[in-house]
Amino acid sequence: MPFSLPWNKGKEREGEKRRRGKKKRAKWKRRTKIAPRAFIYPVVMYGGDEVSAIVLDLGSHTCKAGYAGEDAPKAVFPSVVGSIDQTGITDDVKSERDMESVSDSKNGVRSFDSDKTKAKCKLYVGSQALGYRRDHMEVLSPIKDGVIVDWDIVDSIWDHAFRDRLLIDPTEHPMLLAEPSFNSPQQRERTAELMFEKYKVPALFLAKNAVLTSFASGRATSLVVDSGGGSTTVAPVHDGYVLQKAVLTSPIGGEFLTECMMKSLESKGITIKPRYAFKRKEIRPGEFQTVDLDFPNTTESYRLYSQRVIASDIKESVCRAPDTAFDESGYANIPMTPYELPDGQIIEIGADRFKTPDILFNPSLALRIPGMESFADSAPSVRGLPQMVIESINKCDVDIRRELFSSILLAGGTASMQQLKERLEKDLIEESPQAARVKVLASGNATERRFSVWIGGSILASLGSFQQMWFSKAEFEEHGTSYIQRKCP
Amino acid sequence: MANSASGMAVNDECKLKFLELKTKRNYRFIVFKIDERIQQVTVERFGLPEESYEDFTACLPANECRYAVFDFDFTTDENCQKSKIFFIAWAPDTSRVRSKMLYASSKDRFKRELDGIQVELQATDPSEMSLDIVKGRAI
Repeated sequence: MPFSLPWNKGKEREGEKRRRGKKKRAKWKRRTKIAPRAFIYPVVMYGGDEVSAIVLDLGSHTCKAGYAGEDAPKAVFPSVVGSIDQTGITDDVKSERDMESVSDSKNGVRSFDSDKTKAKCKLYVGSQALGYRRDHMEVLSPIKDGVIVDWDIVDSIWDHAFRDRLLIDPTEHPMLLAEPSFNSPQQRERTAELMFEKYKVPALFLAKNAVLTSFASGRATSLVVDSGGGSTTVAPVHDGYVLQKAVLTSPIGGEFLTECMMKSLESKGITIKPRYAFKRKEIRPGEFQTVDLDFPNTTESYRLYSQRVIASDIKESVCRAPDTAFDESGYANIPMTPYELPDGQIIEIGADRFKTPDILFNPSLALRIPGMESFADSAPSVRGLPQMVIESINKCDVDIRRELFSSILLAGGTASMQQLKERLEKDLIEESPQAARVKVLASGNATERRFSVWIGGSILASLGSFQQMWFSKAEFEEHGTSYIQRKCP
Repeated sequence: MANSASGMAVNDECKLKFLELKTKRNYRFIVFKIDERIQQVTVERFGLPEESYEDFTACLPANECRYAVFDFDFTTDENCQKSKIFFIAWAPDTSRVRSKMLYASSKDRFKRELDGIQVELQATDPSEMSLDIVKGRAI
């Protein structure tokens, strides 16, 4: 740079960060250099211990990204993005955007107006960029019912993960992506195309969520109950194969429970004020004053997003699965648990502590919450967790049912709910055939439960012997996209 | 090929020793381990025909994963002498996640190399491979 301009400062800082990141990884490389590997197999090696692979698990609620070989993902951020429609906005906004660009480069903002013609939308990715309220910013999710529907948003999320969070050049690192067990061949090919053509990755692998979870717990055969943000999936895995016909999903995941929690509180007259809607300052030591702020241009989706962030924290801090099926009268007199909202208001949560998690077991319970009427249409087809487990096992071959009953693995973010494992085991023992020996397993470590898919991918991608399994760029160029179905079955 | 297989190779000795166990009945059991240095499944130890099931379980480390085959002799209800070859994937809960992942993702390929396994067990604690369970699966 010939001279340092004030608006380049941000970029310089970013460069510094990137260098620091490199150094850290170099150290990791040295640690893992156990033995020369390249000489054992005459095949072409990708990654290996020269560069570490990147492991990416894009869930419906959070995106987990990090370096293979580490025990937890480096970057965990929401899978939703903020989007501002840029069509029909005049020049004064443009100049404002130029001013913003310095800070934006740090906050993970991607401008999409150059390469996308269909809609000029500016996307804001990452918890920081989403945490800041902007006029007319809608919150959008790329995933619906576990399937990717908007590839532009996925693209922006990947880009954010690589360039803003991990600070890597995707052309240098093999990528291991976790995919839902019921991903369609078209989806997989689209993923491979985007990865090889846009990001020019040297090698790629698609691993199935359920298989990674199962392997990470040391089992090649198991029934994986993955209760995540957007949905709950029950998938039987046999010898490393997902038995596709027996995979069941339900829309009840963490977000649904959060929604129920929120609606239930609202029906009791408690409204959660989003963080942007007030200012709180300490007027005297220990004494706070809250001033409400009004932003008429805030979108409904952003308001909901901000409220859900708080509601999900309430859920995570106070909820606990009841030992037996929830009934209103039995829980009418239980002691209240206090929770302090960001605006200083202290609320008391009683029966909802138990009622909300019980929706996992008895979805029709949600219908009794005022404001959840929209669920009525789909409610009859949604089953509770124990019923899903039994139905899925019954769809499998008789010979493996016994083994599946004795290794039910609980994973995903919602699985960290207190007492969930114990309750599921109890319900299953009551409802399963007499001869079955039911055993529900969940890692005692909360991080391992929540990130089991990512951790499995991280270990797999770091194995020396795995380096020959990658779908390489050369193979992609020679055989085309559909080869992914053969390389990553 | 299963999804997410590790690509671990199998040492020839594994196949030879297994063949001896199967045809000549030279061994009661064989314990295999993965040698990450050479990226192969190798034979760790084996037991002679006169050794018992207890001797075998004592050979499995408490907090490390292993594969094993065991030649199980039993008498059926009709008083008929029989034997079955068991394959056991030992992945104790207390072992490291990395080791669990390594053994689980290499199992499918390894098992395919051993032709003649009749019963398969996966165990994460000693109760899952107790003699009663083994007997139950054999008959």
